[in-house]
Amino acid sequence: MAKKPTLDLTKYVRFYEQMVYIREFEELIGKEWNNAAAHGMGGYMHLYSGEEAIAVGLIGGMDLSAGDCFIGHYRDHGYALAAGSDPGEVMAEICGKATGCSKGKGGSMHICDAARGFYGGYGIVGGNVPIALGLGWALKYRNQKNVCACFFGDGSMNQGAFHETLNMAQLYKVPVIFALENNGYAMGTSIERSHANQDLRSRVDSFAMRSVTINGQDIFEVHEQMAQIIQEMKEDPHPVFVEFKTYRYHGHGAADTPVTQSTYRTRDEVARAKEEKDPIKFAQTKLIELGVLTDEMITDIQARAYASAEAAMKFSDDSPYPDPSELIKDVYA
Amino acid sequence: MARLRYADAITSALREEMLADDRVFIAGEEVGQYLGTLGVTSGFLKEFGPMRVVDTPISEVGILGLGIGSAMAGLRPVCEMMRMDFAMVAYDQVINHAAKIRYMFGGQFKVPMVIRGPSGVGRQLSAQHSQSLEVLFAHVPGLKVVMPATPADMKGLLKTAMRDDNPVIVMEALRLYFEKPDVLDAILPGLSEVPDDPDFTVPFGKANVLRASTDVTLIGYSAMTIQCLKAANIMAQEGISAEVVDLRTLLPLDMATPIASIKKTHRAVVVQEQWGLYGCAAEISAQIAERAFYDLDAPVQRVTGAFVPMPFARNLENISFPSEHDIVIAAKRTLGR
Ligand SMILES: Cc1ncc(C[n+]2csc(CCOP(=O)(O)OP(=O)(O)O)c2C)c(N)n1
Ligand SMILES: [Mg+2]
Repeated sequence: MAKKPTLDLTKYVRFYEQMVYIREFEELIGKEWNNAAAHGMGGYMHLYSGEEAIAVGLIGGMDLSAGDCFIGHYRDHGYALAAGSDPGEVMAEICGKATGCSKGKGGSMHICDAARGFYGGYGIVGGNVPIALGLGWALKYRNQKNVCACFFGDGSMNQGAFHETLNMAQLYKVPVIFALENNGYAMGTSIERSHANQDLRSRVDSFAMRSVTINGQDIFEVHEQMAQIIQEMKEDPHPVFVEFKTYRYHGHGAADTPVTQSTYRTRDEVARAKEEKDPIKFAQTKLIELGVLTDEMITDIQARAYASAEAAMKFSDDSPYPDPSELIKDVYA
Repeated sequence: MARLRYADAITSALREEMLADDRVFIAGEEVGQYLGTLGVTSGFLKEFGPMRVVDTPISEVGILGLGIGSAMAGLRPVCEMMRMDFAMVAYDQVINHAAKIRYMFGGQFKVPMVIRGPSGVGRQLSAQHSQSLEVLFAHVPGLKVVMPATPADMKGLLKTAMRDDNPVIVMEALRLYFEKPDVLDAILPGLSEVPDDPDFTVPFGKANVLRASTDVTLIGYSAMTIQCLKAANIMAQEGISAEVVDLRTLLPLDMATPIASIKKTHRAVVVQEQWGLYGCAAEISAQIAERAFYDLDAPVQRVTGAFVPMPFARNLENISFPSEHDIVIAAKRTLGR
């Protein structure tokens, strides 16, 4: 039997730290939403709290500087932060500032970072999935030893576009990771109420595509499995469907209040998920057990993460709104 | 008379028609258990049950297919698009199917369905959630396109749509949904009033003169009609009296009413929310040129949205679609002022 490779524990401490940074970033937005207009925030606002291990573990397994890339949907702040995008630029985008990564023109749902291979967050459910096929195709076309990850939610799987794409991806053997963030709900609609077959992973069996289910709350499982899969995809290009089981803490978006949430889930359910399935707590406990994380380190990481989020907000607050001349720029290349 | 918000008028129309005709059902995302994304179908699931208030997956093609097929088979579906932008996912069902079936099969079938949902600029909803795509529908024979501006028209036109035997696209102005009756009535007295009569309907193809006057004709529809009224109020303070014509429906299009107005004022400004190029205002301006050229004292002016995807930043969003001040400027141009 092959010996299980030993974990690179410093890497996991870094992942832990990244998750805490994302959490603090999102929670600060959640808190400042009361004051949204003053910051320039508005419209929809989808927070990633609870799902951090997926972006951190998967993106952390890719080599972005060597050409790996990814694309996401509108719940996209965490993807950018996991890829190492500047938190200030992400926050400034969320607030519609000139210094934002999309120059303030996209907002919260449309974060991107071309330099880090982040091809953007998209607002039409399922709309990003076919584009991932093209991103993967380009990698294969140029014989690159790279992969593309495509993040989407369980709701996307009920779009026709999803099924067309998976068929073609398997047919052409493109190196795309179809990363399903199965958080149990599409807005206020549970899996049970929207998927005839609730075993979502098995829905892609008809494409004869390789697939795997991963506990998206466990950064170790996410990363170890994805690192292995990515390596295999680079040796032999092929698509993989990954179902990450996860849970979202906040409402679907800012408009999904406690009142509207009560139509589809109980406060108890949310509290239980936070208690039992929190990816940060999980990593924390395990890293302490493994002797690489201490209480002092936790306090320190927490403080730095909070300071980073605050600094991002300050950077955004200090930034100007786009110049009116920006209105007509970048319509065409 | 009741004083209603635009959103309440939608609820009222849907509910009355569902009570009156058991062939009517509603299908869409979050219309039932969630009580409607914007609350217009709140309580409907409880009142009408799951066969008449159908919560669907996020499957716009499926939703519209459900509508078209069941309409052909004798039901009267109302398909809700959570936002009209999402209808683009299922554009094929609308354009290549719903619009064609009557004609292509020589009149053997009809498709009595309504496709409705919020449309247009909201607040910082950005490029994929702020579009006014009415021209994409109004270009296509076989469809009808309804763009209500007032609560009364919202109710009356939606009821007419639900009784029509054709596929009707009802595009609701998101920005008007929750405008309070007091705010509306301050723009024009009585603007929020909706008749109580359950048989109240508003016919298609009949534009409405909301404000009669003599100096210049402002032609709008949907949220832009409200902008025209605001512009007229500003101009009134400067001694210019503007007539405001609300088109109400783009397909069928009533040009007789705006042209009668232009014969009086000899000046016209056509206002639409989004992109001017090849837009509805272009069509209306062309018809004015064809039918009332010699009545005009000045070239027809168009006021339209900037030719860009909707930006997120609030300051850019604010300058991307017509304000009442843009309309005033255009109106003054026709007056040489
Ligand atoms: C085509 C389309 N239909 C509807 C919507 C409205 N909408 C936005 S997000 C969403 C729920 C998506 O849920 P899921 O895919 O599970 O992702 P999650 O938000 O849970 O991360 C809906 C219905 C949309 N944006 N696009
Ligand atoms: Mg989901």
